[in-house]
Amino acid sequence: MNAAATAPLASYRDSLARLQPQLSGAGQPWLAQYRREAGSHLQQLGFPQRRQEAWRYTSVDRLLQQDFVPAGAALPDIDLGAFLLPQLDAHRAVFVNGRFVAGLSSLDTLPAGVNVGSLKQQIECNPSVPARWLGRAAGVPQHAFSALNTAAIDDGLIITVAQGQKLDRPVEVLHLTTAPGAALVVPSRSLLLLEVGAQATLVERFVSPDASLYFNNSLSEIVLQDDAELEHVWLQEESPAAFHLHSLFINQHARSRYRNTGFALGGAWARTELNIDFLGEAAAAELDGLYVTGEQQLTDTHIDIRHGVPGCRSHTNYKGLLHGKCRAVFDGRIEVKSRASKTDAHLHNANLLLSRNAEVDTKPQLEIYADDVKCSHGTTVGQLDPAQLFYLRSRGIDAAEARRMLCLGFAGEILDRCGIAPLCEHVRTAVADRLAQAPIGAERV
Amino acid sequence: MLNIEKLQVSVDDKPILNGVDLKVNAGEVHAIMGPNGSGKSTLAHILAGRDGYAVTGGTVSFEGENLLALEPEERAHRGVFLAMQYPVELPGVNNMVFMKTALNAVRTARGEAALDAVGFMKLVRERLRLVQMDERFLKRNVNAGFSGGEKKRNEILQMAVLEPKLAILDETDSGLDIDAMRVVADGVNALRSPERAMIVVTHYQRLLDYIEPDFVHVLAGGRIVRSGDRTLAQELEEKGYGWLEQEDAA
Repeated sequence: MNAAATAPLASYRDSLARLQPQLSGAGQPWLAQYRREAGSHLQQLGFPQRRQEAWRYTSVDRLLQQDFVPAGAALPDIDLGAFLLPQLDAHRAVFVNGRFVAGLSSLDTLPAGVNVGSLKQQIECNPSVPARWLGRAAGVPQHAFSALNTAAIDDGLIITVAQGQKLDRPVEVLHLTTAPGAALVVPSRSLLLLEVGAQATLVERFVSPDASLYFNNSLSEIVLQDDAELEHVWLQEESPAAFHLHSLFINQHARSRYRNTGFALGGAWARTELNIDFLGEAAAAELDGLYVTGEQQLTDTHIDIRHGVPGCRSHTNYKGLLHGKCRAVFDGRIEVKSRASKTDAHLHNANLLLSRNAEVDTKPQLEIYADDVKCSHGTTVGQLDPAQLFYLRSRGIDAAEARRMLCLGFAGEILDRCGIAPLCEHVRTAVADRLAQAPIGAERV
Repeated sequence: MLNIEKLQVSVDDKPILNGVDLKVNAGEVHAIMGPNGSGKSTLAHILAGRDGYAVTGGTVSFEGENLLALEPEERAHRGVFLAMQYPVELPGVNNMVFMKTALNAVRTARGEAALDAVGFMKLVRERLRLVQMDERFLKRNVNAGFSGGEKKRNEILQMAVLEPKLAILDETDSGLDIDAMRVVADGVNALRSPERAMIVVTHYQRLLDYIEPDFVHVLAGGRIVRSGDRTLAQELEEKGYGWLEQEDAA
């Protein structure tokens, strides 16, 4: 490890040493041990280096240059109304700087058998579920940020849906982060457990009321037991200065269904890691995503789907719109293990570059060790088609509007697949506004 | 309305049009015929403003204005419309949104009020009948997954909605069976009017059985080598283009 990476490691370690005794459930041996182990993993792993394949295109130097401090207990005032989506009728859990805020949440009408709330409270009052499930899906930390998150587990989202229960309305989770003073690191942790045959819809949004600098280091574990179904839609609209890392670990048991639709729009440095493990047969995952990356942004998507058992299906379709001087990374991997016959796995990534200063590194990978499988992967990187532009212009539509229409059409395939109409409209408008402001096509048709 | 004089056009330094002269007045239908590679589609594209062509000589004026100096959308605003030989597919772009955006862009440029959704639907429903299309076409994405015939009908529908002064139909009959061609031709004929001019570019005479032109021009080697009335088309059908080329050489 070089000196540049050692200094922040020591400072994070010292900060953890001060923090750990104050965290929730510090007196519970299982948790204290889990945090301690993560602390030593952090020490062993060190911060990611560009020579590691998973970090080849994504430097963490900028992140490590910041002096992030842990968020304190004092919470800023939040005008929640500014963040609500009209027409989204949902149970709502609100987190501010990683802490659950009961006063802003509306969870009074949850059906029986459904628990949505604060992981911290759960650890303090009724730790049996966290004690049993925390770390199950995530396993041993694979990089320093997962280790950091685990070593500092405190608050975050917990959702449990009991066997056979169905949620009548979506659960909306707002992760609000703001750090107008010192730059904050917010290690938020989520645990979702859908028991046998349970069904839920989760809408997660990462937002900020300002342009402040912070590091949102989130880790989510999702366990879908046999026949459980989760529709998971997320929207990342972090502050333009923010660092955002969200690692998701999804364990899917037999015949479970998981649909993940993601929209990554914000942040200066944003990375999403989706890990799917098929543990039971005939389970299915559909992953759709759209990233819109503009001036001075980095958007990084890592998808790792492990088909470990026969007869599972995974379909991944990610699209990227890049404008201005920016970078996007897409690294998607499907692994079909030797006993996973009858696997149906497809992964596709398409990118539209609207600026000659935009850069995308896309790397779809398919590793197949089983016979009798149906798998494909592919990637495209292109620009707006001059023939399509001419077609629109020849009908009287000006060049800027024609470009916007084509870009929205490109994004539309993902937007149209999002089952939450108010969120979909919100994203469509946000993307249209972005494109209206971006000088697309001024430098390249 | 349209006045083309000594038009010379090259693609990648290769001359395609070598001095084309053509005058089109309001209310007239002109057919431009010619063998493959004679420059018919180039002429259609250059009038609509497609890039990739270099004008090396001559002029094109439309209602007294230099057409070649205008952007493609400005030509559409002035009333020029090109029904394309190969209409492109626009995945993710809704056909109705597209047509409404186009119509309102043209109306706004002409100083007319934009149509609201109700006004537009009323208009488009009426025009759909002209090309025997049903409303489901509007819900689909522009040309995406359309059959060849559907794409051509969608072109004529756009023409009916935009009501151009000069419509250029580039090989509108290509890839169509007789029934589809009749539908397209009926749509075009319904749009003939004393204020509107049309240029019908075609390789075969058969389309001209349905859309009867006032004038027929033969383009060969980048020049109009023969002009006449509709009997010229019939003569070409009998004798082939070789006849003109031989006569030219003689």
